[in-house]
Amino acid sequence: MAAAVAEARRIDTTVRPGPEDGELVAMTLGGRSEAFATLVERYDRAVYHLAYRTLRDVEEARDVSQEAFFKAYRSLRTFKPGAKFSTWIFAITYHACCDRLSRRKRYSNEELPERADTGPGPESQAIALDQARRLHDAIDALPEKYRAVITLYHLQGKQYEEIAVVLGLPMGTVKTHLFRAKEQLRKLLGAEEAAE
Amino acid sequence: MNFDNDDALDRALFALPLEEPPADLRASILTATIYRPAPVFSFRELVALAAVCAVVVWLVAAVVLGGGSLFVHSLQALGAATLRGLSNTSLVLWAAAGGATAIWLSIFTGFQPRTEGKAARRR
Repeated sequence: MAAAVAEARRIDTTVRPGPEDGELVAMTLGGRSEAFATLVERYDRAVYHLAYRTLRDVEEARDVSQEAFFKAYRSLRTFKPGAKFSTWIFAITYHACCDRLSRRKRYSNEELPERADTGPGPESQAIALDQARRLHDAIDALPEKYRAVITLYHLQGKQYEEIAVVLGLPMGTVKTHLFRAKEQLRKLLGAEEAAE
Repeated sequence: MNFDNDDALDRALFALPLEEPPADLRASILTATIYRPAPVFSFRELVALAAVCAVVVWLVAAVVLGGGSLFVHSLQALGAATLRGLSNTSLVLWAAAGGATAIWLSIFTGFQPRTEGKAARRR
Protein backbone atom coordinates (compact mmCIF):
# COMPACT_ATOMS: atom_id res chain seq x y z
CA MET A 1 0.00 0.00 0.00
CA ALA A 2 2.75 2.39 1.00
CA ALA A 3 4.54 1.57 -2.23
CA ALA A 4 1.44 2.41 -4.22
CA VAL A 5 1.01 5.74 -2.49
CA ALA A 6 4.68 6.55 -2.93
CA GLU A 7 4.35 5.80 -6.62
CA ALA A 8 1.31 8.01 -6.88
CA ARG A 9 3.25 10.90 -5.44
CA ARG A 10 5.86 10.68 -8.14
CA ILE A 11 4.40 13.77 -9.78
CA ASP A 12 5.04 16.34 -7.14
CA THR A 13 6.95 15.09 -4.16
CA THR A 14 9.58 12.84 -5.64
CA VAL A 15 13.05 13.98 -4.66
CA ARG A 16 14.39 15.62 -7.79
CA PRO A 17 17.82 16.83 -8.56
CA GLY A 18 17.98 20.57 -8.71
CA PRO A 19 16.10 23.34 -6.98
CA GLU A 20 12.62 23.06 -5.47
CA ASP A 21 9.61 24.40 -7.36
CA GLY A 22 9.36 27.45 -5.12
CA GLU A 23 12.99 28.33 -5.79
CA LEU A 24 12.42 27.96 -9.52
CA VAL A 25 9.48 30.36 -9.30
CA ALA A 26 11.65 32.86 -7.40
CA MET A 27 14.43 32.47 -9.97
CA THR A 28 11.99 33.09 -12.82
CA LEU A 29 10.70 36.21 -11.09
CA GLY A 30 14.30 37.29 -10.60
CA GLY A 31 14.79 37.37 -14.37
CA ARG A 32 16.14 33.84 -14.97
CA SER A 33 13.45 32.66 -17.33
CA GLU A 34 15.21 29.34 -18.00
CA ALA A 35 14.06 28.29 -14.50
CA PHE A 36 10.51 28.30 -15.80
CA ALA A 37 11.59 25.85 -18.50
CA THR A 38 12.49 23.40 -15.71
CA LEU A 39 9.01 23.80 -14.24
CA VAL A 40 7.52 23.12 -17.67
CA GLU A 41 9.71 20.05 -17.98
CA ARG A 42 8.51 18.80 -14.58
CA TYR A 43 4.80 19.31 -15.06
CA ASP A 44 3.90 19.40 -18.75
CA ARG A 45 3.09 15.71 -18.88
CA ALA A 46 0.93 15.76 -15.74
CA VAL A 47 -0.86 18.90 -16.88
CA TYR A 48 -1.52 17.35 -20.27
CA HIS A 49 -2.75 14.16 -18.59
CA LEU A 50 -5.22 16.12 -16.44
CA ALA A 51 -6.44 18.13 -19.45
CA TYR A 52 -6.78 15.08 -21.66
CA ARG A 53 -8.55 13.00 -19.01
CA THR A 54 -10.98 15.85 -18.35
CA LEU A 55 -11.65 16.88 -21.95
CA ARG A 56 -10.95 13.61 -23.81
CA ASP A 57 -9.78 15.54 -26.85
CA VAL A 58 -6.13 15.64 -27.92
CA GLU A 59 -6.23 19.08 -29.53
CA GLU A 60 -8.16 20.72 -26.73
CA ALA A 61 -5.92 19.10 -24.12
CA ARG A 62 -2.92 20.47 -25.93
CA ASP A 63 -4.42 23.98 -26.11
CA VAL A 64 -5.40 23.90 -22.45
CA SER A 65 -1.92 22.76 -21.39
CA GLN A 66 -0.35 25.64 -23.29
CA GLU A 67 -2.91 28.08 -21.95
CA ALA A 68 -2.36 26.89 -18.36
CA PHE A 69 1.40 27.41 -18.51
CA PHE A 70 0.94 30.77 -20.22
CA LYS A 71 -1.45 31.94 -17.48
CA ALA A 72 0.90 30.63 -14.80
CA TYR A 73 3.86 32.43 -16.36
CA ARG A 74 1.95 35.67 -16.73
CA SER A 75 0.66 35.65 -13.15
CA LEU A 76 3.70 34.12 -11.49
CA ARG A 77 3.87 37.10 -9.13
CA THR A 78 0.55 36.04 -7.59
CA PHE A 79 1.96 32.61 -6.67
CA LYS A 80 2.07 32.47 -2.89
CA PRO A 81 5.47 31.52 -1.49
CA GLY A 82 5.15 28.24 0.37
CA ALA A 83 2.27 27.02 -1.78
CA LYS A 84 2.72 23.97 -3.99
CA PHE A 85 3.35 24.76 -7.63
CA SER A 86 1.76 21.46 -8.70
CA THR A 87 -1.51 22.33 -6.95
CA TRP A 88 -1.47 25.80 -8.46
CA ILE A 89 -0.83 24.68 -12.04
CA PHE A 90 -3.37 21.85 -11.72
CA ALA A 91 -5.97 24.33 -10.48
CA ILE A 92 -5.30 26.64 -13.45
CA THR A 93 -5.53 23.67 -15.80
CA TYR A 94 -8.72 22.39 -14.24
CA HIS A 95 -10.41 25.80 -14.48
CA ALA A 96 -9.38 26.10 -18.12
CA CYS A 97 -10.88 22.64 -18.72
CA CYS A 98 -14.12 23.68 -17.00
CA ASP A 99 -14.33 26.74 -19.26
CA ARG A 100 -13.91 24.53 -22.32
CA LEU A 101 -16.49 22.04 -21.09
CA SER A 102 -19.08 24.72 -20.40
CA ARG A 103 -18.42 26.23 -23.84
CA ARG A 104 -18.76 22.79 -25.36
CA LYS A 105 -22.08 22.26 -23.60
CA ARG A 106 -23.33 25.65 -24.75
CA TYR A 107 -22.65 24.86 -28.40
CA SER A 108 -23.17 21.13 -28.24
CA ASN A 109 -26.11 21.19 -30.65
CA GLU A 110 -24.39 23.10 -33.43
CA GLU A 111 -20.62 23.09 -33.50
CA LEU A 112 -19.50 20.17 -31.47
CA PRO A 113 -21.72 17.14 -31.79
CA GLU A 114 -19.03 15.04 -33.38
CA ARG A 115 -16.49 16.01 -30.72
CA ALA A 116 -18.61 14.74 -27.88
CA ASP A 117 -16.76 11.57 -27.09
CA THR A 118 -19.24 9.15 -25.56
CA GLY A 119 -16.52 6.78 -24.46
CA PRO A 120 -15.89 3.29 -25.62
CA GLY A 121 -18.84 1.37 -27.00
CA PRO A 122 -19.84 -2.12 -25.88
CA GLU A 123 -17.74 -3.74 -28.60
CA SER A 124 -14.56 -1.94 -27.68
CA GLN A 125 -15.24 -2.65 -24.00
CA ALA A 126 -15.63 -6.32 -24.80
CA ILE A 127 -12.28 -6.42 -26.55
CA ALA A 128 -10.43 -4.41 -23.92
CA LEU A 129 -6.81 -5.36 -24.28
CA ASP A 130 -5.26 -4.85 -20.88
CA GLN A 131 -5.92 -3.67 -17.38
CA ALA A 132 -4.75 -0.11 -17.95
CA ARG A 133 -6.88 0.22 -21.02
CA ARG A 134 -9.89 -1.18 -19.17
CA LEU A 135 -9.32 1.14 -16.26
CA HIS A 136 -8.94 4.14 -18.56
CA ASP A 137 -12.15 3.21 -20.33
CA ALA A 138 -13.95 2.86 -17.02
CA ILE A 139 -12.63 6.26 -15.87
CA ASP A 140 -13.81 7.79 -19.15
CA ALA A 141 -17.27 6.41 -18.50
CA LEU A 142 -17.50 8.17 -15.12
CA PRO A 143 -19.45 11.43 -14.75
CA GLU A 144 -17.27 14.51 -15.16
CA LYS A 145 -17.00 15.40 -11.44
CA TYR A 146 -15.91 11.89 -10.50
CA ARG A 147 -13.50 11.70 -13.41
CA ALA A 148 -11.73 14.87 -12.27
CA VAL A 149 -11.39 13.59 -8.69
CA ILE A 150 -10.04 10.22 -9.84
CA THR A 151 -7.58 11.87 -12.25
CA LEU A 152 -6.24 14.14 -9.53
CA TYR A 153 -6.11 11.22 -7.09
CA HIS A 154 -3.99 9.44 -9.68
CA LEU A 155 -1.75 12.50 -10.09
CA GLN A 156 -1.45 13.65 -6.48
CA GLY A 157 -2.03 10.50 -4.43
CA LYS A 158 -3.90 10.70 -1.17
CA GLN A 159 -3.40 14.41 -0.73
CA TYR A 160 -7.07 15.22 -0.34
CA GLU A 161 -6.41 18.79 0.71
CA GLU A 162 -4.51 19.48 -2.52
CA ILE A 163 -7.27 17.87 -4.59
CA ALA A 164 -9.84 20.01 -2.77
CA VAL A 165 -7.84 23.18 -3.54
CA VAL A 166 -7.54 22.29 -7.23
CA LEU A 167 -11.24 21.55 -7.59
CA GLY A 168 -12.37 24.37 -5.31
CA LEU A 169 -14.47 21.93 -3.26
CA PRO A 170 -14.65 21.18 0.47
CA MET A 171 -12.53 18.24 1.53
CA GLY A 172 -15.59 16.26 2.64
CA THR A 173 -17.08 16.58 -0.85
CA VAL A 174 -13.82 15.42 -2.39
CA LYS A 175 -13.79 12.34 -0.18
CA THR A 176 -17.43 11.60 -1.00
CA HIS A 177 -16.81 12.04 -4.74
CA LEU A 178 -13.78 9.80 -4.54
CA PHE A 179 -15.68 7.12 -2.65
CA ARG A 180 -18.50 7.17 -5.20
CA ALA A 181 -16.09 7.28 -8.13
CA LYS A 182 -14.30 4.19 -6.85
CA GLU A 183 -17.61 2.47 -6.27
CA GLN A 184 -18.69 3.20 -9.85
CA LEU A 185 -15.32 2.10 -11.17
CA ARG A 186 -15.62 -1.20 -9.35
CA LYS A 187 -19.12 -1.69 -10.76
CA LEU A 188 -18.02 -0.86 -14.30
CA LEU A 189 -14.99 -3.13 -14.14
CA GLY A 190 -17.02 -5.89 -12.48
CA ALA A 191 -19.71 -5.69 -15.16
CA GLU A 192 -17.06 -5.82 -17.84
CA GLU A 193 -15.49 -8.91 -16.30
CA ALA A 194 -18.87 -10.57 -16.03
CA ALA A 195 -19.55 -9.81 -19.71
CA GLU A 196 -16.28 -11.49 -20.64
CA MET B 1 -8.17 -8.84 -11.82
CA ASN B 2 -10.44 -8.38 -8.84
CA PHE B 3 -11.02 -4.79 -7.68
CA ASP B 4 -13.24 -5.65 -4.76
CA ASN B 5 -10.89 -4.25 -2.15
CA ASP B 6 -9.80 -0.65 -2.08
CA ASP B 7 -6.08 -1.38 -2.10
CA ALA B 8 -6.25 -3.36 -5.34
CA LEU B 9 -8.08 -0.52 -7.06
CA ASP B 10 -5.63 2.04 -5.63
CA ARG B 11 -2.68 0.03 -6.87
CA ALA B 12 -4.21 -0.27 -10.32
CA LEU B 13 -5.00 3.46 -10.41
CA PHE B 14 -1.56 4.51 -9.28
CA ALA B 15 0.05 2.17 -11.78
CA LEU B 16 -1.75 3.82 -14.69
CA PRO B 17 0.71 5.46 -17.05
CA LEU B 18 0.31 9.16 -17.79
CA GLU B 19 -0.99 10.17 -21.19
CA GLU B 20 1.75 10.74 -23.74
CA PRO B 21 1.66 14.42 -24.69
CA PRO B 22 2.14 15.53 -28.31
CA ALA B 23 5.82 15.63 -29.24
CA ASP B 24 5.99 19.39 -29.67
CA LEU B 25 3.92 20.34 -26.61
CA ARG B 26 6.89 21.42 -24.51
CA ALA B 27 8.33 23.47 -27.34
CA SER B 28 5.01 25.21 -27.94
CA ILE B 29 4.63 25.99 -24.22
CA LEU B 30 8.12 27.47 -24.08
CA THR B 31 7.47 29.48 -27.24
CA ALA B 32 4.31 30.87 -25.67
CA THR B 33 6.03 31.75 -22.40
CA ILE B 34 9.75 32.39 -21.98
CA TYR B 35 10.59 32.65 -25.68
CA ARG B 36 7.60 34.83 -26.47
CA PRO B 37 8.86 37.95 -28.25
CA ALA B 38 8.37 41.10 -26.26
CA PRO B 39 5.59 43.34 -27.62
CA VAL B 40 6.75 46.23 -29.82
CA PHE B 41 5.04 48.74 -27.53
CA SER B 42 4.41 48.43 -23.82
CA PHE B 43 0.97 49.27 -22.44
CA ARG B 44 2.13 52.72 -21.26
CA GLU B 45 3.66 53.48 -24.65
CA LEU B 46 0.43 52.49 -26.34
CA VAL B 47 -1.55 54.79 -24.06
CA ALA B 48 0.86 57.68 -24.78
CA LEU B 49 0.66 56.98 -28.51
CA ALA B 50 -3.12 56.94 -28.41
CA ALA B 51 -3.13 60.24 -26.50
CA VAL B 52 -0.82 61.87 -29.08
CA CYS B 53 -3.00 60.58 -31.92
CA ALA B 54 -6.10 61.93 -30.22
CA VAL B 55 -4.51 65.38 -29.82
CA VAL B 56 -3.43 65.37 -33.48
CA VAL B 57 -6.94 64.41 -34.61
CA TRP B 58 -8.41 67.11 -32.38
CA LEU B 59 -5.99 69.72 -33.79
CA VAL B 60 -6.73 68.72 -37.39
CA ALA B 61 -10.45 68.86 -36.69
CA ALA B 62 -10.05 72.27 -35.03
CA VAL B 63 -8.08 73.58 -38.05
CA VAL B 64 -10.57 72.20 -40.56
CA LEU B 65 -13.57 73.54 -38.64
CA GLY B 66 -11.88 76.91 -38.02
CA GLY B 67 -11.14 77.42 -41.73
CA GLY B 68 -7.88 77.45 -43.71
CA SER B 69 -7.14 81.15 -43.14
CA LEU B 70 -7.02 80.66 -39.37
CA PHE B 71 -4.50 77.83 -39.87
CA VAL B 72 -2.27 79.99 -42.11
CA HIS B 73 -2.55 82.89 -39.66
CA SER B 74 -1.58 80.58 -36.78
CA LEU B 75 1.42 79.25 -38.69
CA GLN B 76 2.60 82.79 -39.47
CA ALA B 77 2.25 83.78 -35.81
CA LEU B 78 4.19 80.67 -34.75
CA GLY B 79 6.97 81.41 -37.28
CA ALA B 80 7.25 85.01 -36.16
CA ALA B 81 7.44 83.98 -32.49
CA THR B 82 10.19 81.43 -33.29
CA LEU B 83 12.23 83.99 -35.20
CA ARG B 84 11.84 86.51 -32.36
CA GLY B 85 13.00 83.85 -29.93
CA LEU B 86 16.07 82.93 -32.00
CA SER B 87 17.07 86.57 -32.31
CA ASN B 88 17.14 86.80 -28.49
CA THR B 89 20.71 85.84 -27.46
CA SER B 90 19.94 84.93 -23.84
CA LEU B 91 17.11 82.60 -24.89
CA VAL B 92 19.39 80.80 -27.41
CA LEU B 93 22.06 80.43 -24.72
CA TRP B 94 19.59 78.97 -22.21
CA ALA B 95 18.27 76.54 -24.86
CA ALA B 96 21.83 75.45 -25.73
CA ALA B 97 22.68 74.93 -22.04
CA GLY B 98 19.53 72.83 -21.54
CA GLY B 99 20.28 70.68 -24.59
CA ALA B 100 23.90 70.14 -23.53
CA THR B 101 22.83 69.12 -20.03
CA ALA B 102 20.34 66.62 -21.44
CA ILE B 103 23.01 65.06 -23.68
CA TRP B 104 25.52 64.94 -20.83
CA LEU B 105 23.01 63.22 -18.53
CA SER B 106 22.09 60.62 -21.14
CA ILE B 107 25.76 59.81 -21.84
CA PHE B 108 27.14 59.67 -18.32
CA THR B 109 24.29 58.19 -16.28
CA GLY B 110 24.03 55.17 -18.62
CA PHE B 111 21.02 52.87 -19.15
CA GLN B 112 20.16 49.82 -17.04
CA PRO B 113 18.17 47.00 -18.63
CA ARG B 114 14.81 46.44 -16.92
CA THR B 115 15.43 42.91 -15.59
CA GLU B 116 18.80 43.74 -14.12
CA GLY B 117 17.28 46.70 -12.35
CA LYS B 118 14.64 44.47 -10.80
CA ALA B 119 17.13 41.84 -9.76
CA ALA B 120 19.33 44.51 -8.22
CA ARG B 121 16.39 45.91 -6.29
CA ARG B 122 15.61 42.41 -4.99
CA ARG B 123 19.18 41.95 -3.79
